[in-house]
Amino acid sequence: MTGHGVPLELYQLVAALLFTIGLVGVLVRRSALVIFMSIELMLNAVNLSFVAFSRLHGQMDGQIFVFFVMSVAAAEVAVGLAILVAIFRNRETASVDDVHLLKG
Amino acid sequence: MAEVILFTAFALTAVAFALGVIFRRNAVHCALHLVGVLLSLSGMFVLLNAQFIAAIQILVYAGAIMVLFLFVVMLLNVKGETPLLTPGAAKGFGFLFALIAFVELLWIVLAPGGEEVAPPPAPPLVPGFGSPAAIGRALYTTWLFPFEVTSILLLVAVIGAVVLAKRKFF
Repeated sequence: MTGHGVPLELYQLVAALLFTIGLVGVLVRRSALVIFMSIELMLNAVNLSFVAFSRLHGQMDGQIFVFFVMSVAAAEVAVGLAILVAIFRNRETASVDDVHLLKG
Repeated sequence: MAEVILFTAFALTAVAFALGVIFRRNAVHCALHLVGVLLSLSGMFVLLNAQFIAAIQILVYAGAIMVLFLFVVMLLNVKGETPLLTPGAAKGFGFLFALIAFVELLWIVLAPGGEEVAPPPAPPLVPGFGSPAAIGRALYTTWLFPFEVTSILLLVAVIGAVVLAKRKFF
């Protein structure tokens, strides 16, 4: 229990659902942009899990970890979108099915 | 009781917006649905006594990161892909593996925890739990070294983004 109304398992269930939806997005979508958004979705599901456990144990270390996850996500988005723009400028595509050779 | 109602509302909107993120054709719509997910999650953070994290979620995630996403989507002007999902067997395998992962996660969340049947009662929260002052004190004492490493990470990311944007690589 989190000490008020909603049990922790429900938060974990929502986090698992969001993580799975993000996983489906990464695996089946073709647009690299949407794949990035799905990765953000998975990171946020993990953040929800961290915050729920932080509340369960009454310690703030989980919230500190969410802080670090957010900064890593910001760095990842900046570099990833820069790579995407570089690919799009040269190949006129943002689909991962068209960029699969690992060479120019 | 109010917490249960608010939690249900936030959970349902989060999952609905998340489905919109991966099944909408237009990338701008996907990004806006992702903003909806982030706002719902920040509501849940408030329910979990993480007020500072909730504010940061809105400011940094829904503000800065999603603006970057929308900026790139509109800069690239990507047409909606005609086959939305990846064709062929990869799509089936994708759904299959995601289903397996979900069942595993459900197993972890819902399985009874061994010999420890009753969960320990939640300890009483210290005053100011989740407030900016408490977060800052923990961040600048216990977690000072990871914090400094994060600043280096962000610096490297900025340099990497600028280098990637300026030169031609492909």
